[in-house]
Amino acid sequence: MIKNYLKIAIRNLKRNKVFSAINVIGLSIGIATCLIIMLFVKDELSYDRFNEKADKIVRVVFKASINGGKIAEATVMPPTAQVLLQDFPEVKEATRIQTSGTPTIEYREKSFREGALGFADANFFEVFSIPMLQGNAKTALSQPNSMVITEEFAHKYFGDENPIGKVLNIKSWKTLYKVTGVIEKMPSNSHFHFDMLGSLVSNPDAKSSSWMSSGYFTYLVLQDGYDYKKLEAKLPQTVEKYMGPQIKQAMGVSISQFQKKGNKLGLFLQPLTDIHLKSDMTGELEANGDIRYVYIFGAIAIFMLIIACINFTNLSTAEASKRAREVGVRKVLGSVKYELIRQFLLESIVLTSIALVLAIALVQIALPTFNELSGKHLSIDIKEHYLLLLSLIPFGLLVGILAGSYPAFFLSSFKPVEVLKGKFSTGRGSISLRSGLVVFQFFISVSLIVGTIVVYQQLSYIQHKKLGYEKDQLLVLKGTWALGKNEDVLRKELLKDPRVANVTTSGYKPAGDTDSNNSMAYAENDDTQMMRTLEYHIDDQYIPTMGMQMVSGRNFSKEFPTDSTGIIINESAAKAFGWGVNAVGHNITRLKNNDGLKIRYHVIGVVKNFHFKSLHESITPLLMVMESSPGLIVKVKTKDVSGLLNNIKKQWAAFNVDQPFSYAFMDEDFNNMYKVEQKTGTILGIFAALTIFVACLGLFGLATFTAEQRTKEIGIRKVLGADIPQIIGLLSKDFLKLILIACVMAFPLSYWTMSKWLQDFAYRIDISWLVFIVAGVSSAIIASLTISYQAIKAALANPVKTLRTE
Amino acid sequence: MLKITGLEKIYRTEDIETMALNRLSMEVKEGEFVAIMGPSGCGKSTLLNIIGLLDDPDAGSFQFNSIEVAHFNERKRADLRKRNIGFVFQSFNLIDELTVYENVELPLLYLGIPATERKQRVEEVLEKVQIMHRKNHFPQQLSGGQQQRCAVARAVVNKPKLILADEPTGNLDSSNGNEVMQLLTELNDGGTTVVMVTHSEHDARYAHRIIRLLDGQVVMENVLS
Repeated sequence: MIKNYLKIAIRNLKRNKVFSAINVIGLSIGIATCLIIMLFVKDELSYDRFNEKADKIVRVVFKASINGGKIAEATVMPPTAQVLLQDFPEVKEATRIQTSGTPTIEYREKSFREGALGFADANFFEVFSIPMLQGNAKTALSQPNSMVITEEFAHKYFGDENPIGKVLNIKSWKTLYKVTGVIEKMPSNSHFHFDMLGSLVSNPDAKSSSWMSSGYFTYLVLQDGYDYKKLEAKLPQTVEKYMGPQIKQAMGVSISQFQKKGNKLGLFLQPLTDIHLKSDMTGELEANGDIRYVYIFGAIAIFMLIIACINFTNLSTAEASKRAREVGVRKVLGSVKYELIRQFLLESIVLTSIALVLAIALVQIALPTFNELSGKHLSIDIKEHYLLLLSLIPFGLLVGILAGSYPAFFLSSFKPVEVLKGKFSTGRGSISLRSGLVVFQFFISVSLIVGTIVVYQQLSYIQHKKLGYEKDQLLVLKGTWALGKNEDVLRKELLKDPRVANVTTSGYKPAGDTDSNNSMAYAENDDTQMMRTLEYHIDDQYIPTMGMQMVSGRNFSKEFPTDSTGIIINESAAKAFGWGVNAVGHNITRLKNNDGLKIRYHVIGVVKNFHFKSLHESITPLLMVMESSPGLIVKVKTKDVSGLLNNIKKQWAAFNVDQPFSYAFMDEDFNNMYKVEQKTGTILGIFAALTIFVACLGLFGLATFTAEQRTKEIGIRKVLGADIPQIIGLLSKDFLKLILIACVMAFPLSYWTMSKWLQDFAYRIDISWLVFIVAGVSSAIIASLTISYQAIKAALANPVKTLRTE
Repeated sequence: MLKITGLEKIYRTEDIETMALNRLSMEVKEGEFVAIMGPSGCGKSTLLNIIGLLDDPDAGSFQFNSIEVAHFNERKRADLRKRNIGFVFQSFNLIDELTVYENVELPLLYLGIPATERKQRVEEVLEKVQIMHRKNHFPQQLSGGQQQRCAVARAVVNKPKLILADEPTGNLDSSNGNEVMQLLTELNDGGTTVVMVTHSEHDARYAHRIIRLLDGQVVMENVLS
């Protein structure tokens, strides 16, 4: 009997080529999208779980709120790990990581400046499960100047030689490191990726007992089954006990006085497995994911699948009249309802299976592009993903049943007496169901269109927002500290070049990775109003080079020797200190170091607010002082940028430093800040387009069916004098009505969702009503085009012919 | 074989009630060939549907082989139907996606008959109706007469005790029609009971007895020699 069902199923597929194609294509796109997103979500959720102790590891972080300024940092103070291990028996292990840029590292004649270098405590490998291929994991990082490197880097430096015992030279630090271990490449789903890990004992600061400095990523392994919240609740005492005295010494206030003023500060814990998706703090090891995108993409996957299933349901019930006679005959011949249900379910499962195979092929084709967009390394590998591939079988069954169950029940409930007499008509019930399903499809499509438009508008707003500085034509030279005194020589040379408009010596840039310098400062002598500010070290050319504007006062100038204690503040600082426009002439005291040294400055100017962080964050108080800072930023006035770069490169080479010449453009750095949003925008756009495509496939099928079903009606209308536009209008009207309903439903939901998304940006667009008009009209146009083919075909048909078919 | 007493069937639409069968009584003996005639709307198709267990009456009694079946549920009816009754329709009602062979095989599949026996029985009956040479063709590739012979083959392949024919020659020309009537007569001669609804006096003369209906009631019976 199954054989008979299969036969019918396959012959039906062949006979109704258009419907079969629509169903199979729609379903396979739906399934493929769903699969890709499943891979994506699975990868996002798998972060750091490869660690055997993943469930017991927490990271210690620092959060504070000082005079209204909020701080959340991923790193904590050097002694934190040791103190927590010592004071709390529930802490079984504590380890720290410190990052350090990418210095040039040499071995004999080989020299590279790539890969991420970090430093870790000796017990790093007790906490994190990163397999060591050579060397002893327990001791590899216990001695100063030891280093563990990945297999890949070992090969890069030493070729086929045994890396153990070899010495790497970090020239710029004048230090040598002995290779004591070789590890596997860190898994892609780790929240950090180091190519080289030095022993943290090499760094004297790691032994510091200062609670006023920071910079250590600190991880604890807790007792089995211990709730980290319980430990977290005990941390305030620890902070008071250890940090309190040092705060008092530095700021002259006790921690309780400090807290009485509404200030807060403390240590908090994050489960390791939450870091990737839920942590977004200052100084994260790498850009993390976002749990909300996991939800959004997950929802899209489910919607996509539902839309494809709806197509199947819609087309199958629409086609019901064609199958009605078969149902009648089968019933007459003794089939009972459940046998028919089984038959129709089997048919939908056959179709789903075809779609599934096609979907896997589609996934294979689309994955490289998706990986590029999402920055992931997803793949379907039979060896690695056999479980996933096996799970596709029940998945296919589920989709088949989901898509086929309504048609199966609908078709199998036909009364043979009626259908065999040709009295069959698709009832009102099934028409309103189909309409409901079309509304649902377009509801989702329109919502996605609105979402995509808003994301793109916000991105374009960011691109074109006045930032308070000119991000274009700014060339940032990297690593100029290596030039030493020659940095100034290079600066002067550059100024001679007619292609250069201006040059400033400063390592501070308002986009991308920059020197960051937080300092505590207060107005006049009132040290009770301590404020956390960001500090820029600049020269007199910085403000003109960057194209920043002074609101009041003046820029630094070499003509005023007193400018060494002069200070320029931004508008936010002027406001925060309570001076507003009249800031010039007031005094600011800032804590110079952590040892309580204070310096008094007089305000010489107020610079117009500029965005020195991403537009997610609002502009906070900023102080600018005239201090030397290595780094050159060049304002270029030429189209011949490559010629200029070649020239600088030659000059650089002439200084004969081991640092290779490297540079970046400010606008690129700026754009990099919004990579996540750009990726999301693109992915969302693609998904929206696919969703609409699949929904339109279904619409096309339904329009075909309606046109067929109304052939006679159209014939009669034409005989009675209806012209072609009227017929097209007649056929399109019903569908457009459905799309209108879908829009009305989609608008409030998408408005609400996108407002939520925008709240993440301190600077954002207002969602204009035009967005909704565009989304509504464009979906109506797409739908009309879809329908029009069939509508025009039906309208042009000769009524003599169509009426004769009856 | 069939004993019908006081059968009623009423069709209701929103505000019209139509009495299709009005306290109808009749009987058909085993081995009989009965033709049911009457003008359009007299209730003959309704009667045939009830006899064929495709529809249930609103009132009255219907005994099939002395078993009261008037209020059987769908499952029981389907079971009785597939074992005992074969249908022949005016419009053939063959499944377009199945070949001649597969169409005829279908009732045997629903009876769960093993493959070898199925093959033997299907081929036997196809020989009998003389379309063995077209067994791998699809219905649309056949002439009307061939389609109806295929339908007859399908109706008799499970060796039913009763064949119900609803205007079996209505869509056929006279020579094809005669062939089909000949087939039904042969089946009847072999012991199968045949009940046929027809408009054609010519076809009705193949029967032993003609029952004439009007407005849902039996108005006349003719026994033919």
